[in-house]
Amino acid sequence: MTTTRRSFIKSSGLALSYTLGAQTLLLSPAAARAKKLPLRRLDAAHAASLETLAEALVPGAREAGISHYIDSQLQREPEDSLLMIRYLGVADHHTFYVDGLKSIERQAKSRYRKSLAALKSQQTDELIGALAAGEVENWSGPPAGLFYFVVRADAADVVYGTPAGFERLDIPYMPHIAPSRPW
Amino acid sequence: MNAKVTSREKVDLLIVGSGAAASVFAAKAAQAGKQVLMLEAGPARGLQDLVSSQLWARRLKWGGAPVEEEGNLTLGHNFNSGWGTGGSSMHHYGVWPRLHPGDFRLRTDHGKGLDWPLQYRELRPYYDRIQEEVGLSGDAAAEKWRPPGSEYPLPALPVFPQGQAIAAGFKALGKHTAPIPLAINSRPYKNRRACIYDGWCDAGCPIGALANAQALYLPQARAAGGRILHRATVTRVLANKKGNKVIGVEYRDAEDRQQVQLADVVVLAAFAVQNPRLLLASANPAHPQGLANSSGLVGRYMMTHPATSIYGLFKQETQPHLGPTGGQLISQDGYDNKAAIKNAFGSYQWLIANALKPNDLLGIVNTRPDIFGRALEAFMQRASRSIGTMVFVGEDLPLAQNRITLSQHKDQYGVPLARAVHNIQAPTAALCEHAVAEGTAVFKAAGAEQVWQGPRFGMHIMGGTVMGTSADNSVTNRYGQCHDIDNLFIAGPGLFPSSGAVNPTFTLHALGLLAVEFMLREWGSIA
Repeated sequence: MTTTRRSFIKSSGLALSYTLGAQTLLLSPAAARAKKLPLRRLDAAHAASLETLAEALVPGAREAGISHYIDSQLQREPEDSLLMIRYLGVADHHTFYVDGLKSIERQAKSRYRKSLAALKSQQTDELIGALAAGEVENWSGPPAGLFYFVVRADAADVVYGTPAGFERLDIPYMPHIAPSRPW
Repeated sequence: MNAKVTSREKVDLLIVGSGAAASVFAAKAAQAGKQVLMLEAGPARGLQDLVSSQLWARRLKWGGAPVEEEGNLTLGHNFNSGWGTGGSSMHHYGVWPRLHPGDFRLRTDHGKGLDWPLQYRELRPYYDRIQEEVGLSGDAAAEKWRPPGSEYPLPALPVFPQGQAIAAGFKALGKHTAPIPLAINSRPYKNRRACIYDGWCDAGCPIGALANAQALYLPQARAAGGRILHRATVTRVLANKKGNKVIGVEYRDAEDRQQVQLADVVVLAAFAVQNPRLLLASANPAHPQGLANSSGLVGRYMMTHPATSIYGLFKQETQPHLGPTGGQLISQDGYDNKAAIKNAFGSYQWLIANALKPNDLLGIVNTRPDIFGRALEAFMQRASRSIGTMVFVGEDLPLAQNRITLSQHKDQYGVPLARAVHNIQAPTAALCEHAVAEGTAVFKAAGAEQVWQGPRFGMHIMGGTVMGTSADNSVTNRYGQCHDIDNLFIAGPGLFPSSGAVNPTFTLHALGLLAVEFMLREWGSIA
């Protein structure tokens, strides 16, 4: 199915540019994920970790295209980024995510001898609880509590921060100017 | 480094920045016939770019050189500052209370902090004139704490169910609320439209109902011939050899070329952190510790209002997505007694019933950052119907040790980054704790079924280039004119010698009007 600009706007309201070969597509992160567009700043392992973590934090984040959303933002100059991390004084956004994702995988293996994706839901919740509280040993990424806060906020952005997300909560969006295009 | 330097034609008035303070200077000076140029570091942006989205709104926040921050209450520079045409005014909420007379006499009345070099009664006419030009909405009679001033030109905005629910709690405890004085049109005013209460203030108001710089003073400046040059990052203020006059600025343009812009008078209106950074980075042989810094006070007395949000879930629907982001009601009971609470010090106010969207730093989802997974979905469903919130805004004492200095690290142009240190002391922390207990009691009295609080954070940034009576106690005089250099002015909340506990935008407009009229009146001796 071809996602037109109009149908995309209706379904998501988070239009981002994705380049595929010589073609530039205006897609929502969810549509980019459905099309399996290649990621540029996150590798497959990072994306898998991110999707698992984000889905556990905010159900719906995987399908909403969390990996494509963050990957697309990491391709931009910080001043053009839509990520909430830009408020928080973190100088290198890419390193923040990659180091955090590596660290949480190490935690999963250290605690349960499994990858994050292979954990049972109770184990995932335990690990996230420790992450949120900053109670993780041998953590070498960004501050654990901050990493939890940022990824949770990112996941909330793609799940709740669009017209589709408002509709999910039955909140009228009421835009002055609908989020129909990238600036 | 690009060695090629181009010198551009001299202008009368050069303003660094294009935000609220800059726009007042630009409009009035251009209307008086001065050739005005504003240099804005960020991109050009118009009202048509203000997309209603908490995601897209992030581009309105600071996007320039990083600021290194530390302390027990950091300034929150990136969140509080703006980027692009109109600066931080484009994401401000239009909450415009006045400072109180006692805020101008902190040292005289309490032996703490600093006094202002003028009194409320001297600033009042400028508050009144700005209010008439901008068109504030409010109910002066209902604000029993309000300092003397003209009636508001517009009636108050309506109060929605969230405001009504929380107001009941104040009333039950014998406390008072009033509509917030807002720089948001409740009715059409001077060719600007009325608010439609959709809660998108944070994303920038594209219909002109909220008085950001693009709605009011920048169009006036442009209509009178004032210009804005975007992507122009000022790297140094240039002075003559004697050091008693500035002659212009160096900046990098959009093509990364180094330029020199000459001017008769320079106004630094790049907000409270970047102004002192620029002065310190512009040291020269005549000003070895930074330009206009014979006082040694450039960068000192940084302030931010300590703030904490109270949240509650109500039985009834509150429609939290409706109304202004800054809130519907205000309470300043007890504002004028700064020493009323044992072991605490300072004034405070409540901003009540802020519109909430689902996501972002101040959105519903981050009111409970401890919840995740299926529990979060359940919380979001409930809270989006019945949450209520209000935010405590407290006074921050001006302390010399809270300051901006230059970092050892530099930006892409070789200018040292700003390093910001800000800590609050025990009396301010005690004020915050008192307020949280009071706010919790209000919500319980209002019938909230669950009540909790958010973290303490810094709201607004003030100080760093404080005004005063001489170089012994300040960087500038009451007009923002530097004590050391007659044709160099500072504008904005960086001038405030004390913070009070009210949002600073109304006051910085009033000060701007006072200052620009002085500058134009005295132009012959200044330029």
